Order: sequence, then structure tokens, then C-alpha cells
Amino acid sequence: MKALLAVGEISKTFGANEQPAVDEVSFDCQKGEVLAIVGGSGSGKTTLLRLIAGLEIPELGEIKLGEVKTNGPGTFLPPEKRDCALVFQDYALFPNMTVEQNVFFGKTAKQRPEQVRKLLQLTKISDLAKRFPHQISGGEQQRVALVRALATQPSLLLLDEPLSHLDPELRDNVRAQLLNLFKETRTTALFVSHDTEDAMAMADRVIVMRQGQAIQVGTPAEVYSKPLDRYTALLFGKTNFVPLDLIPNAPHHFHDERSNKEVVSIRPHDWQVIEKDSDSSNSTISGKVSSVRYKGTHLELKIESESMCILANVETSRTVKEGDGVTLFPSFD
Amino acid sequence: MKSLLAIFFFLSAGLCVNAAEINVYSHRHYDSDAVLFKKFSQQTGVQVNVIKGSADQLIQRLISEGKNSPADILLTVDAGRLHRAKEAGILQPVESETLSQNVPESMRDPEGSWYGMTVRARVIVYAKGRVNPEELSSYEDLASSKWRARLAVRSSSNIYNQSLLASIIAANGPAKALSWAKAVRKNMVRAPRGSDRDQARAVASGLADVAVINTYYLGILANSTSAADREVARKVGVFFPNQNGRGAHVNVSGGGVTRSSKNKKDAIRFLEFLTSSESQQTFSAVNYEYPVKIENNRSDLLKSWGSFKADKVNLSILGSRNPEAVKTFDRAGWE
Amino acid sequence: MTEPGGSKTQNGTGLTLILTSPKRNLSNFGRGFLFKLNGWTLAALVIGLLIFIPMASVLWHLTSPSENWRHLEETVLTSYLKDSLILVLGTVFLSVVAGVSCAWLVSCCEFPGRKIFEWILVLPLAVPTFIAAYAYFDLLAIIEEKMIPLVIWTRTNSVEDLDTVIFLLDSLKYPVTMLVMASVLYPYVYLLARASFSRQGSQLIEAARTLGHSPRSIFFRVALPLARPAIVAGASLVVMETLNDYGAVKHFGISTFTNGIFRTWFALNDLSGALRLAALLMLFILSLLVVERLLRSGAKFEEKGNFARPFQRYRLGPTGATLAIACCLVPLTCGFLIPLGRLSLWASDSYRKILDSSFVELVANSLSLAVASSLLIVLTATFLAFAGRYFKSPGVHITNRLAILGYSVPGAVVAMAIMLVAGPLNLTLGILLTGSLLTLLFAYLIRFLAVAWQPVDSGMEKNCDLLNEASQSLKASPLVSLLKINLPLIRPSLWAAGLLVFVDTMKELPLTLILRPFNFETLSTRTYDLTNQAQIPESSVPAMCIILVVVFPVVWLNRKMEAPK
Repeated sequence: MKALLAVGEISKTFGANEQPAVDEVSFDCQKGEVLAIVGGSGSGKTTLLRLIAGLEIPELGEIKLGEVKTNGPGTFLPPEKRDCALVFQDYALFPNMTVEQNVFFGKTAKQRPEQVRKLLQLTKISDLAKRFPHQISGGEQQRVALVRALATQPSLLLLDEPLSHLDPELRDNVRAQLLNLFKETRTTALFVSHDTEDAMAMADRVIVMRQGQAIQVGTPAEVYSKPLDRYTALLFGKTNFVPLDLIPNAPHHFHDERSNKEVVSIRPHDWQVIEKDSDSSNSTISGKVSSVRYKGTHLELKIESESMCILANVETSRTVKEGDGVTLFPSFD
Repeated sequence: MKSLLAIFFFLSAGLCVNAAEINVYSHRHYDSDAVLFKKFSQQTGVQVNVIKGSADQLIQRLISEGKNSPADILLTVDAGRLHRAKEAGILQPVESETLSQNVPESMRDPEGSWYGMTVRARVIVYAKGRVNPEELSSYEDLASSKWRARLAVRSSSNIYNQSLLASIIAANGPAKALSWAKAVRKNMVRAPRGSDRDQARAVASGLADVAVINTYYLGILANSTSAADREVARKVGVFFPNQNGRGAHVNVSGGGVTRSSKNKKDAIRFLEFLTSSESQQTFSAVNYEYPVKIENNRSDLLKSWGSFKADKVNLSILGSRNPEAVKTFDRAGWE
Repeated sequence: MTEPGGSKTQNGTGLTLILTSPKRNLSNFGRGFLFKLNGWTLAALVIGLLIFIPMASVLWHLTSPSENWRHLEETVLTSYLKDSLILVLGTVFLSVVAGVSCAWLVSCCEFPGRKIFEWILVLPLAVPTFIAAYAYFDLLAIIEEKMIPLVIWTRTNSVEDLDTVIFLLDSLKYPVTMLVMASVLYPYVYLLARASFSRQGSQLIEAARTLGHSPRSIFFRVALPLARPAIVAGASLVVMETLNDYGAVKHFGISTFTNGIFRTWFALNDLSGALRLAALLMLFILSLLVVERLLRSGAKFEEKGNFARPFQRYRLGPTGATLAIACCLVPLTCGFLIPLGRLSLWASDSYRKILDSSFVELVANSLSLAVASSLLIVLTATFLAFAGRYFKSPGVHITNRLAILGYSVPGAVVAMAIMLVAGPLNLTLGILLTGSLLTLLFAYLIRFLAVAWQPVDSGMEKNCDLLNEASQSLKASPLVSLLKINLPLIRPSLWAAGLLVFVDTMKELPLTLILRPFNFETLSTRTYDLTNQAQIPESSVPAMCIILVVVFPVVWLNRKMEAPK
């Protein structure tokens, strides 16, 4: 199947002697797919999104959107002519227009008022049509921004940190709503997030960015359990980097630049923790518990072994104390 | 720091009045005056401080300063203003043998509150070639429809025009003066604007055929450094109106000693000096004004315009009729 | 222009702030008024009222009997109104068109020379209107000369059409004056519109682009409506400057209100009539400010101070770029290049005649006067703003608003106000107030306090309000708070305020003309004197000095506005 969006070795540098903000990034996006770009601040993820939207002009590389080549040597399609819409992080609602005027602002939105009204209903903001942006809540503003973008029926929807302004308790709800909406409107979406939870919950595939480079592309599960480097592994939460020689049978490992060793990423909940005496198999590590923290759903143990300090989670029912000797081995499912 | 010192120096300048100096509020901003003031200082050792401004503002200021005013002398370019200053009580009558000799009676206040210094005639200038001087006769004639769209005169805010109209009111009565002003305004080729010099330029350029201006402006034009100005002076002719009647309208530029003067003696000496025949020559040579005794004129340029009969109306009438003249202009729509 | 680093709506020289936020200030009026009386607030109240009294004495004459009032009403009042309105509307229209289009081009488009235009377009601000009028003194005459054949033809061939031709000739003065005034006043609109465009800049315009809108449609549907408050603020500055002008309108023969005030005062010798006209003019401007204020509060949207992202400007093709350059060049040429060019041409002929030791004194006078008044005004503004903010005294808030009214009235009216108050004082106190530099400085204080007050006050609001509360709770004395916290934090605002006042006093004419002391001439009074004697070439030397001295602070202020933080 032909990709809807094809990005080929795109690069963008701000300022003469700066590091590239986006450095030879390539990826594809299929029709109907939801793609997340994740990375720390300054990793170039927002710039990548803006390059696709046409708001920045790349020095090198090609972008193809559907059948149209939007960027390439000597080619630049201005944003107003691209078949994609962007939902801004701060929503960028026009403060001088009502909600209704905002959502009908898009060039092609006026041609299908019925669909736009439906979108308003779907997002439950029909009642707000006559209000101004400063008269509605943050969550409502976000939905207005979303509807405004969708109203143009873009083949690709770009979202910049769509959930960053929302309260944690709202987020889960909104994630589900967004996914529903994408499904119902059959939208292909590409969103940027610094929060890997968003990415894991919503995306079909994840692109991990670091210092302008796309260092890993894969399904959330892949990226989570089989990171290609220390940065990616840490981006998705707490983990332990265990030298490969300690766990030779590990199904996935990578070369860690910091220790210059092959290492295995083992999440704290992937350990099996056993009392000291039951020392048996060869792929085990032993150590002494240096701290126990109650985390509600589990206990987080800090275990000092000969060469390193390991985090491991155990059920709260266990009676582990500081100073206990324990043996660990990873469970690979 | 230096500038601060300078500020304090100037702050105090308004407060102390030195005996060896006189302070002059002057509307006159001519080179001739600077030359003469300097000469006076050299001859007498009395320093002359000048503040220039429009006569109206200076009078207003003298009124508000009252007896504390530092001014010793007020110089203006119009008898009407001198009269108004006298009415406002800011001038004091002075008597001086020399002044009485230097200034003819019609050119000074009967009580000696002010003395004329120079005389300017308000005349008609015409485009040589396009206008036959035979066609011209009087100010009143400018209201005739034959001058339709051929006339240029400056704004009625100008005191020379106000005094001219005051003299017409005095001669013909208010009603005739109003219809005259209306007709003249209608004959103007453009709305009044600019100085007398601009009116002369309009005649030279062909926009207008006749204009009403003060004579010394022609002198300035004829002696200008700019070739275009000299060309203007060549192209226009001077006509003294009302020679068969009351005579051409004249006005004086003059001055008086202020009531607040702390140095009356030097102030009178100053006026005497300005009306001396030596100074009078300077005025007519440098500024092309007529001497206060018109017949004593010795400047070649002024002679070339010929001798004329001047309106003998008492100049203080121009002052007392001035507000009436201004209102008449307003009613006539003469801006 | 305003203090650097402002993200708050930057509304020029502050006049628009004159009637701000009365609600908060009045909320605890009465109770707070008395309780907050202390040495500081008392001093601030007294100073504020002292500055306001002369203006109040003018307003008080709104109904005073005048012997000539009927006459004025019957004859000239309508023409003063008509001329003022025509001139103001035309000048504002031209200024807005030039200012807004240039601001849009330099902030949202990319074309060769854009960076240079960005700052060079503010330069006409250094040219006072009366000097611009002299630079164009013969423009009207030249146009008239072109019409001479028509006049002559009509005179001989078609007498019945003479009225039309004369009307046409008469009306020429309006467009010419508008053009001359707008060409040096448009930077007010340009500066504020540019700040607004670059603030709204990135996000909203980008959003509109991704929604498929062309630059044209974005300009009219997004950028322009959003910039409206800024444009209105700039336009109101243009209105005030236009009504303030005396030299240019007199030169081109337009009888505006300011002209009428002088005529009534001097020609009719009717001070109370003139004062009544002045009060009427003041009332008119004040109501304009109120309307502007209401319009602004109607448009509730706050512009966000979001400079974070460099904006991807529209890249113009060869045709577009040529047009853009032409569009920027027109106002720049009319407002700066031609005046400066003509002045320097004349100056090259006459500088030998004019430049002597007295000229050095002239420059020193102008500079020291401008520096001294800047210091005085910035100090007063800082004290008043601090006293109002630190003690949250409603009384001081009110007197502060009253004290800055002077900027909205023409300099000539301020001078009249001073005369009105100083006259009786002269007589009763036996001290000579008029004609001393002290009075002149006080007059400047009345006229230009708002210029310094606005950046200082908003600088304090942004940087110091919270910290003042903190220092109050730490039991620090007000003096310590002022010296150790407020002054260091608002230093950029203080600089901006000082420079703005400096620029304005250097350019000032009517006030200085009426109130200056003996033998005291500044560059602008000298220029006026010389031009009054039609010594245009000679006047070009002091005129050029003013422009050259003022250009530097103008450019500096522009850069401060461009690169906030």
C-alpha cells in the first residue's frame, strides 16, 4: 500500500552554526494511521511537524503528501495549498471571532456546513457556537481547534502537543475521545507529544526523536520493550541497564554508548525477586535491598548488587525489608 | 553638569535686571534691527537683550507679567498693536525733545505712549504687461468685478490687512467696508495664504494679476540672493492707490517704553537712537522701509517707486477699529 | 512606543492609557482614600493636582462668558470645525494606510532590504510637522503654477466656471497639507501596528495559513482586525499631533481650531473666547480618548506576548518584492529623504552665514533644556507612579490620570493655561513666573508627563507590583523599595521614557515660543523665526540639527521595541 505521507531525509537548521533541529529524518505514514512523534524538549519534534505543515522550509530532503510533492529540490508548496491541517499547541483560535466563525474559517469548511455541524455535535461544543474563545474553558478551546482543523477535511491532521494543556484526570478521557473521533472521521493523524503515555495510548506507531534525528520508529510495544538506545528506553519510563554478559539469553539488547557495552533494558516490573538462599540459575543477579518504597500498586525496591544499583517492583503483599539479601532474574515473556 | 549650570544661570536670568542693560520685547525680526541694537550698545555701553515673538503674544505676556515684567521696550510692526498695548496699560507716556523732533505728530501717540520708527505703505502691485496701471485706481476699486479671479491678498489674520480694513471702515463706514471685504474675497483667485511675498510671487507667476502688499517686501525680493526672487521683483509694478482721495494706506512700526521699565532713561535713549536720522537710513537701506519722515527717504530703490500721498488718518484709529475689522473679515468669509 | 520588553499592549505615548481601569482604582474609594494618606501619597496628590490645575482652569472656561462668542458661532466656528475635521480625517487616513501597509510588509513578508526598512521607516518621526511644512513650502505653489493655464483660460473663455476652478484651487491646500503631515506622522501607526503584527505574528497567521487562506485574506480577516486596537492607538496619536500643529497649518492656510484659538486670542483680543475654544478642543480630544478606550474594552481579546517562534515570512517574488520596496519607499521618501535632502541642499548654501558662536549656544540651549526636562519629567513620573502603585491609593490614581491630561491638548493651549495661572501669581507673589526657565520646564512637565508616565507605570505594573507587596510584608521602607527594587527593575523603561521626552521637547515649538525666557532661543524657535522671515535656506541649518539630534534616540527606541528581551 502506498504511503499517504512520505518524508525523506528532511533537514532543517536554524541559524548558521547551530546544530540541525531536524537532521535527515525519514519515515512514512499510511492512510488511517495514527502516528506519534515523541522526544524530549529540543529534540526537533515540533519542527518536524511544522516542516510537514509547510510552516518551515527545509534545507534538504523531500516530503510527499498523497500524490503531491510538497517539498523537494526547487519545490515548496506553501502551507495554504497543502492538504493537511495543524492543531496548534496553544490552539491559536482567532480571539476576534466566535467559535462558529473560527470553525468555518477554513477555506473549504464553508462548502460542507453539515459535516462541520456534525463535528461540533460530536465534540459536544455546538452550544458554544456564539461564544468567543476567551469565554470558554481550555478543554473546549482544544475541541474548537480540533474541529476547526478537521472541518477542512484534510487528508492528514497534524497535532502539536494536543493534550499538554489538559489536567491529568481529563487526559484519559480526551485520549479516548480523540481516538474515537479519528476513527469516525477516518482521519490520518500525526501528533507530537513529550508524554510517552499519550503516544502509547493513542498511536499505532511511534517515532522517537533525539537531537533532530529519528532514532527509532515502531509500534509503542516495540519501542517500549525493545529500545534501540538508552535515551529511548528512559523516555518511556524507569528502567535498568544490565550488561548483556549478565543476561546472555536476553531476546533484545543494544549497544550503550555511555558504558560502551552491549546492554539489556529491563523494566522494574520485569524482575522476579526471590529471597537470597534460593540462588540457582546462571542468569541471576544478587544484592542487598537498600531501600523500600511504597508506591500504592507495588513496592519499589532499590537493590545494591556488586556492580550496580537496580530498581525492581514487587507486589505489596511481599515482606521485604531494608538490608535483606535478594536474588533477581528477568522474566521475558 | 555644565548644562545644569547653564540651566540655573538661565533660571536666574529672568529675575535680575542689570542697570546697564535694557530688555526689549520685539516683534521685529529684521537684520537691520540686530545691526542697530549692536551699534547702540557700542555707543552707550547699554546692553540690549531681545526677546522676539509675535506682538500679540508679547503684549499678552506683558499683561500677565504686570509690574514685575523685565521689559523696558515693546517694539511692534503695527500701530494697531501699539494702540492696544497702550489701552492695556502696559506702556507709559514719555516726553523727549529729540523724539518729538524725530517723529512727525501723525506718526506717534498724542500722549507719547508710543512713537513710530519706520513707515510702510500697503500698496497694489500689478503684473507688468498684463495690467495697465491706468486700470488701477483705489482699494475700493479692487471690489469691482473686473478683478474677478485676478486678485491675491494674504490672510485676514495678518495685522496689515486688519489695519487696512480699519482705515476703510474709518473712511467709508462699516457697511460699505463689509461689502468691500466680501467682494474682494470673491475676486481672489485662491484662498488667502502665505506672506505678502507669496502674493507678489503669484502675480509674477501669472496666477494673479494684482496683489496687495507692503512695499518693503518688494525691496527684499529685489535684493534677494535668489535669482527667482529678483525676477519676481522685476515682473511686478508698484501702484500707490487712492492718490486722488485720502492717500495710500500707511502704517508704522514703532515702540514704546513699558510701564514696568526699571531703566526708563536708557529706554528713552534707545527710542531716540532708533529714530535718529542715522538709524532711519539704516532701516530704509537694509530693510527697505520708509523713514518715519517719508520725505527724508534717501534709498534709491524706494525713490524708484516714486513719491506718494499717504493717508493722514490718525494711526491710533487703526487700533481702536481693529476688533471691528477682524469681525468684518470673519463675516465676509475672508479667512 | 513604549518601554522595551513590553508584552502588554504597547500604546504609544500613553495617552490612550489616560482613562484606564477606573474600576479597580475606585473599588475601595472612600475607605482607602483617607487611610492611605501619608507623606508619600500627600506629596503625590499635591504634585498631581499642581500639574492639573492649569488644565482645569482652561476647562473651567468652557462656559465662561465671552463678548465675541456669538460672533464666533455665527461666522468662523463652523469653518474651524470643518477645516480641523477634514485635516484630521485625511491625515489619519493617509497615516493609517501608509503605516499599516508598511508594518505588514516588514513584519510578514520577505523582500530585499526588509531589515533596513524595518528601522529606517521610523525616521520621519524625527521631523517636526512645522519643519516638514517648510521643506515642502513651495509644493502648493508649484501645483498652483501648473493650474495657471486653466485659470487664465477660464477667466477669458468660460467665466461661469470660475467658481468651480477657484474652488478647486482653494481645495488644493487640504490634500497637500494632509500629505505633508501624514508623511511625518505615519510612524506612530507604523510602530504600533508593527508591534501588533509581530506579536500576533506566528501562531494565528500560521493557523490561518494551514486553514488554506491566502495572504490577502489573512491580512483582512485576521491580522487587521487583531491589530485594530494598536492601529486606533496610533491613529489617536496622529489626531493629537495634527491638532497640536500650528506651523504647518498656518503655512498652508488652513484654519484649524489651534489657528482659531490664536486668532481669537490675539486678533480679537478676546482671551476668554480663546480659552473657550481651547476648552472645546480639549473636550473634543478627551471624548475621542474615551471612545477609543471604549472601543478597546469592547474588543476583549488580549494579544499574547508570544515572540517565541521566528515567523516564516511570505517570500515575495520579483514583482511582489518590487512593489513592496516601492510601497515602503514612498512614505520614507516623502517623510524623510525629501525633507532632509532639501534641507541639506539649502544648508550647504547657507551654513557659513548661520554657523557662528551663537549657534553653538543655540544647540547647547536646546540640548540642556531637553535633558533637564527629561530628567524632571521622568523623576516626577516615577514618583507619581510609585506613590500610586505602592500605596494603592485611589486618590493618587485619580490625580495621576488628571496630571497626564496635558499631553492630549495642543502645546499652545498648555501655554495659555500657564499664562492664565501664572499671571495672577505674578501679581500676588511679586515673583516673575512667566519668562523663566522654571515656568517653561513646568509647562513641559504638564505637556509631556504622559509620555514618561506610561512606560514607567506599566513597567512598574509588570515588574514591581508583586515585589512591592513582598517588600511591604518584609517591613522594608517605601524608600528602600523604590531605590533597591523598583528603580533597578524598571531601568529600561526609565531610559525609554527619558528618550521619548527628549525627542518631544527637542521638537516642541508653540509652548517654547510663547514661554521662553529672555534671549533664550532653541533650535526650534530659531527655525521658526527664520522661516517666518522666509529665510528658508538659513532656517534649514537649525532644522537639520533638530532632525539629526533626534534621529539617534528614535532609532534606539525603535531597536528596543524590536527586540524585546
